[in-house]
Amino acid sequence: MALQARVAVAEHSSSSLYAGFIPSSTNHVRLSSSLGSLASSSSLIQGDTLRSLSNADIGYRIAGPKWGRRLGSPCPALSFPVKASASATSPKKVLIINTNSGGHAVIGFWLVKELQSRGHDVTILTVGDESSDKMKKTPFSRFSELRETGAKTVWGSPSDLSSAVGSASFDVVLDNNGKDLEAVKPVVDWAKANGVQQFLFVSSAGIYKTTDEPPHVEGDSVKASAGHVGVEEYIASLSFSCWASFRPQYMVGSGNNKDCEEWFFDRIVRDRPVPIPYPGVQVTNISHVKDLSSMITLAIENPDAANGITFNAVSDRGVTFNGLVKFCAAAAGKEAKIVYYDPKAVGVDAKKAFPFRNMHFYAEPRAAKEKLGWKSTTNLPEDLKERFQEYTAIGRDKKDIKFELDDKILAALQTA
Amino acid sequence: MNFHSVVPLSLEACTMSNMACASLKSYNGLHKIEMYPHFNKSSSSLLAQPIRVSRAHQRGGKCTITASTSVESKKILMMGGTRFIGVYLARLLTEAGHEVTLFTRGKAPITQQLADESDEDYKKFSSSVKHLQGDRQDFDGLKSKLSGSGFDVVYDINGREGAEVEPILDSLPDLQQYIFCSSAGVYLKSDLLPHFETDAGDPKSRHKGKLDTESLLDKKGVNWTSIRPVYIYGPLNYNPVEEWFFHRLKAGRPIPVPGSGLQITQLGHVKDLAVAFLKVLCNEKASRQVYNISGEKYVTFDGIARACAKAGGFPEPEIVHFNAKDFDFGKSKAFPLRDQHFFTSIEKAKKELDWEPEFGLVEGLTDSYNLDFGRGTFRKKPDYTADDMILEKLGKKVIVAA
Repeated sequence: MALQARVAVAEHSSSSLYAGFIPSSTNHVRLSSSLGSLASSSSLIQGDTLRSLSNADIGYRIAGPKWGRRLGSPCPALSFPVKASASATSPKKVLIINTNSGGHAVIGFWLVKELQSRGHDVTILTVGDESSDKMKKTPFSRFSELRETGAKTVWGSPSDLSSAVGSASFDVVLDNNGKDLEAVKPVVDWAKANGVQQFLFVSSAGIYKTTDEPPHVEGDSVKASAGHVGVEEYIASLSFSCWASFRPQYMVGSGNNKDCEEWFFDRIVRDRPVPIPYPGVQVTNISHVKDLSSMITLAIENPDAANGITFNAVSDRGVTFNGLVKFCAAAAGKEAKIVYYDPKAVGVDAKKAFPFRNMHFYAEPRAAKEKLGWKSTTNLPEDLKERFQEYTAIGRDKKDIKFELDDKILAALQTA
Repeated sequence: MNFHSVVPLSLEACTMSNMACASLKSYNGLHKIEMYPHFNKSSSSLLAQPIRVSRAHQRGGKCTITASTSVESKKILMMGGTRFIGVYLARLLTEAGHEVTLFTRGKAPITQQLADESDEDYKKFSSSVKHLQGDRQDFDGLKSKLSGSGFDVVYDINGREGAEVEPILDSLPDLQQYIFCSSAGVYLKSDLLPHFETDAGDPKSRHKGKLDTESLLDKKGVNWTSIRPVYIYGPLNYNPVEEWFFHRLKAGRPIPVPGSGLQITQLGHVKDLAVAFLKVLCNEKASRQVYNISGEKYVTFDGIARACAKAGGFPEPEIVHFNAKDFDFGKSKAFPLRDQHFFTSIEKAKKELDWEPEFGLVEGLTDSYNLDFGRGTFRKKPDYTADDMILEKLGKKVIVAA
């Protein structure tokens, strides 16, 4: 008789109210008001019956072959997803080690809010000093919103966590900071020594090897030299009760630290041409950060289901550069003019001239969907409308911006 | 006959950890679809029983497709079935114990022996499959041929227009299921991909007839299922997909690819498609549902050229990119695939039908090469008119065929 297991998973939505949970704070999470096409009700639902579980599905280790139909090494202690419901999942004490800059900073900001709204007890440790200039940018400048939910905000160093959090104990630690073993090992070791049950790591989808066959799916080859890979392997080797890794790509969402859609808005509102590396059909994945927040939350609330899994933390749609320009223009209510260029031919560093990797860089969240019953709620055209509203609300459309690299590109194309 | 001719493995030869791999790969004939989850001998209490579609030893015997359901023998009418998909599907169905009748005009042979099919297996198949001669465009003739025929299920493999469905439905009022071969070509082009089954269709597309058929089936209240393949490939493919590349690779010619070659599409092996068609038979979950069926991964145009080269044991191909707008190829087609991103998510089928593709791309193209092109068989002679125009314009030496 084939093994079957029912997994009850919470369907996440924009509402902060979940059946069975009493939010620990009266302040609701200010999530995007735009509901994606996959937006769901806020009631807890019974997940679909998973297809017959094999040992391969359970406790798959990243060192093994492709997850899913091919085999990983069988998990010594057979476990299968437990029935998780609002009442069954007890509140967790979560420590997030958060980066103080870059694209991933916003993940911690949203995750704290979501976890607090679901009754969990969160401490977010931002690396560095509270007085640092870096803290003047979002999301850090808005950390009062986190304290309003009841979360603790502290500052410190990953290599001296005891100083920052004292004798506090945690069920879950999420490292959303390090890119290599040097940065993360101290956190991992501290967590292991302090009885942390579940260790989560925000890795990167950038570690996948380029391929003729997109998308990047969990189990595909990764660049052995990538720092994140060493971290994932180290965590896996330490036998936490549960561990998981999340590989994001690009995100939009209020409180972001690194420009994403802004790059396009900057040009569109000023009626400037938008220079796109030829041919513009490159596919990338732009998620609303709430997708990552909901995925990590599901993993925290269903640790057995998430155990030993690397998750692509992305939305379930790829978008082309051309498409992204179109959506940004629509959000801004304007027409956009695209000019294509070859970075090498015009002599610019594509990494500096354009916010996304100049290639297909496209992962899909297959593990999260299959293992956690997770659903994406990113709706890029709608999300960008909301982002544009904030873009203008903070006055960025009036900001005086220099477009040096753009001008260089345009000049080169003129003379071509 | 090996369904999976590339890697013939015997179960005994496999180590424990490879067991499931082996079980998935060692198709001993099309009829045997073994899908057991890996089982760990040391925890025998958790031993999962193999889920088999076994060769029916008796006519009309029961067969199990899933662990929980069994499909009793059905009288099946297949519209078409002599060229490509049906060739494999009819075999799966007869082996599963169903009675299969192919409805064709009779212009092509009703059955053909597969390259890796034993004479014995072929004899068994060809003697068990039935033929009903007729022209499905002759609606009145079709109705009179089907009235009172007692078919339980229709597999409509070659239907194109909604109107073609009506005479069949009218003459088979007790029909249990109408399974339609549609196309992912119905999807409206989008900047957000992949296409999910819930995405909008394009009422202006070349495949609008397929979309109309799906709507009509839904309106008629019959229990219907629609399958939307993307690009199908495999031995006996009559659409020059892999064949187009193989011709050029064999001739040592460069492969002309429009644009950047970064366009992403999706190829699905015909045998995986046939299994999907089998999985929806009398499957409650599939009632009034649409499923995208294709390969697990997508592939760029340049990637297809490289994968075909690997499959046929050719050296790394020379790919020549050209701007299609610079040419007027007339009637000659410069490239066999639509010049755009075109791929779908197969997660619905994987989740609901407990189906998944067995062939990876290179694996599947190798199967196609070994059982078809590599043996010297193909459907269309190569036409290098467009190739030569491109090469000339780009200042490349035009190769004269040896």
